[in-house]
Amino acid sequence: MELEERARDSADNCIACTSCVAVCPVTKANPDYRGPKLVGPAHNRMHFSDESDYEDSLKLCSNCKNCDITCPNGVSVATLNMLERAKYYKAHPEKHTQADQMLSHNFQMADMLKSIPFGRTCANIGMSIGEAMGMMGAMGIAPQRKSPRFATKYFREMYKEIKQPEGLTKEVLFFPGCFIDVNDPEVGVAFVKVMNANGYKVLMDDRFKCCGSPLVVGGYLDEARSHADNNVAIINEYAAKNIPVIACCTSCSLMLKAEYTELFAQEEMAQAAKNVYDAFEFLTILAEKGELKKVHVSSDKKFIYHAPCHLRAQGMGMPAVDLLKEIGVNIDSADAGCCGMSGSYGFHKENYETSMKIGSELFDKINASGAHKVVCDCGTCREQIKHGTNAKTTHPIQVLAKAYEQ
Amino acid sequence: MSKSDVVVIGNGFAGLMSALVSADQGKKVTLLSYGAGTFPLNSGVIDVLGYDDSGKAVANPAQAVSAVADEHPYKKIGTQALEESVKFFQDVVAAEGFPYVGSLNEQQWLVTGVGTLKPSCLVPESMQGSKCFEASEIVLVGIKGLKDYYVDMVAENLAKELGNDKKYTVVTVDPHYQGARDLTTKDVAAWMDTEAGYADFVSQVKGNAGAGKVILVPQILGLKGNVVYKKIVAELGCPVVETTAMPPSVNGLRLRDVLLSALKKKGITVIENAKAEEAVIEGSKAVAIKAGGEVRLQTYNADKFIVATGGFYSGGITMRDFGEAKEVVFGLPVECDCVEERWVNKQLFSDKKQTFAKTGVRVDATLRGVNESGNVVLENVYVAGRNLSGYDFCFEHSGNGVALASAYKAAKA
Repeated sequence: MELEERARDSADNCIACTSCVAVCPVTKANPDYRGPKLVGPAHNRMHFSDESDYEDSLKLCSNCKNCDITCPNGVSVATLNMLERAKYYKAHPEKHTQADQMLSHNFQMADMLKSIPFGRTCANIGMSIGEAMGMMGAMGIAPQRKSPRFATKYFREMYKEIKQPEGLTKEVLFFPGCFIDVNDPEVGVAFVKVMNANGYKVLMDDRFKCCGSPLVVGGYLDEARSHADNNVAIINEYAAKNIPVIACCTSCSLMLKAEYTELFAQEEMAQAAKNVYDAFEFLTILAEKGELKKVHVSSDKKFIYHAPCHLRAQGMGMPAVDLLKEIGVNIDSADAGCCGMSGSYGFHKENYETSMKIGSELFDKINASGAHKVVCDCGTCREQIKHGTNAKTTHPIQVLAKAYEQ
Repeated sequence: MSKSDVVVIGNGFAGLMSALVSADQGKKVTLLSYGAGTFPLNSGVIDVLGYDDSGKAVANPAQAVSAVADEHPYKKIGTQALEESVKFFQDVVAAEGFPYVGSLNEQQWLVTGVGTLKPSCLVPESMQGSKCFEASEIVLVGIKGLKDYYVDMVAENLAKELGNDKKYTVVTVDPHYQGARDLTTKDVAAWMDTEAGYADFVSQVKGNAGAGKVILVPQILGLKGNVVYKKIVAELGCPVVETTAMPPSVNGLRLRDVLLSALKKKGITVIENAKAEEAVIEGSKAVAIKAGGEVRLQTYNADKFIVATGGFYSGGITMRDFGEAKEVVFGLPVECDCVEERWVNKQLFSDKKQTFAKTGVRVDATLRGVNESGNVVLENVYVAGRNLSGYDFCFEHSGNGVALASAYKAAKA
């Protein structure tokens, strides 16, 4: 069922106060970007029917959502931006670059490599050679970066080998998301350990597709819609069985919880959203009910936390930090704003400089902190932190899983 | 979320100050924020009372505050709380290395972005317009490409204010800006924060500096407290004064950063993008606020709540149908003179207040909402800032002063 188009209608609530311009990380770093107010709510009223209608800086928004967080009037600024971008590319598909195609469709590559013997090893070697030879730049990928490598076993494969304890009566369905599945499967393993320790069996459903976040940012909105329809149907299936869906990646959870409904305005999406939780949001609910496994950490190793913007946009504070503090982990939030990566944004060659400028405040704080590791819920934020500093990174669920082991 | 002693709802000046004063009392504080408050929009100066009811300029805010009408929030807050709140604020910002000058016994003068003078009570060191009074020459610095700052108009208007016996010299600095969009004061301030930008600026202005002169600049002296201000005053060897500005306001952002830094040191939890949707009431007390995103609300339990969600502009007060004004979180009693003929003064810049602007929560001297018979509605819910009824901050220039004093009183109660 169609819902009211809240995001599009919210443009009328914009009073042009410029609060979003004041906090926009891209505006600060890149003087070519006209800012969220103009590109989102203002240009939303234009139609990109021909090339002359194109707002030159439309492509510069990273969809980090700081404008939404700052807006006093509930305007979905970033989503308006994404809708306009999609409209433009729909009229001008030829404007998509090779990098847009690749960075928005990493899930296709990942599936293809899995089906080829030694496909992943070869791809990783290929990436190393490509990076060494300076070929990434030619494809529109920032040549300064090391692309995340494909895990030799994806989480969906590792999951099948995990022996979960017998007799667990409660169940959750894991939405791994692409990064955890194909690049950083140990996060998924840690999630299973934590849930098992709390009496939950973790289910997987191979019908899940990429949440669609990279597709939306790349301007492939119709494809994103088909992913949304697919995922929402599965989530609602499990909702009918009272099985919650949990994500460890905060961009995936934002997509499933809020952005589907914002972008596509469908009743079943709003319905599905109610059955989706961020991992630490779910664990906090368990803690509030007194059902979370008790553990105390007595190490004084110092951690610094980076809050992903897509977590901050969810309006529930920083549940991972609160929970880790509660069990005695020495952890403090960096409070240094956006890291600059924003999923695939910082991988684009033309966004590299902007991306690194945005992240500089965070890098400085991390370098000055003397922390043992940087804790962050988002995979691409962690990639950016590793690139911008020499710090080691980890997902908070891995810190908790380790605490349970001791 | 474990229980707090105090939950503050609102992220503007009143909200942040309520949180700081509460934490200073040893309370565990959670602040729910939705939007950035008005910091990016106002100049981050503390007007206590600029004009009295007849529109006459106030020379001594302390005296004028003691003479306000009964309906005015200052009457309920009292002068003692106002005095203490000013001291508290000055201590907080000074401890953060961003001191504000001024006292309740005199006005500071600001030079506005169009070259007029405006009274205020507490201002950062960089905005002391009174330094222009003694100078023999005002050097007005314009910035090439800067939006909404017309330096020739500033010079013309300032000469009307300060007299033609002074010399007014206009210098235009070229920031060598290459971007595709209009330049804002925030962009120029960020340029001034870089070593190269600072040096470039100084080299273009230095020849005009000297004894007996004042350098007047738009709000561009860096984004970080008074770092650039201190450096440039020492380097140029004469006073440097910033004007007020169009949004985004650099000094408003500086003040917000400084206060957020103080909040962090006090261990105050700030929950971003969490709209307070529902109050949980038991008898005559509030026990929790439910707040959060679209999908799910988190419950924030506390012993005490401070509402600092703002007025019509910020959405703390709404009126869907004429006469049906509402306070959105707790449904506290709102009072307004909802008579169509009196509601709007059509002459926007006249010597009369706007009736609609005075709409707000009816409170008693404890700053708790009261019904028409004067009885407290919720005994542990306090109100601060623009939620309060009985004043037109825009007319009388009292916005941040009422916010500060009411936040202090509400937090102390």
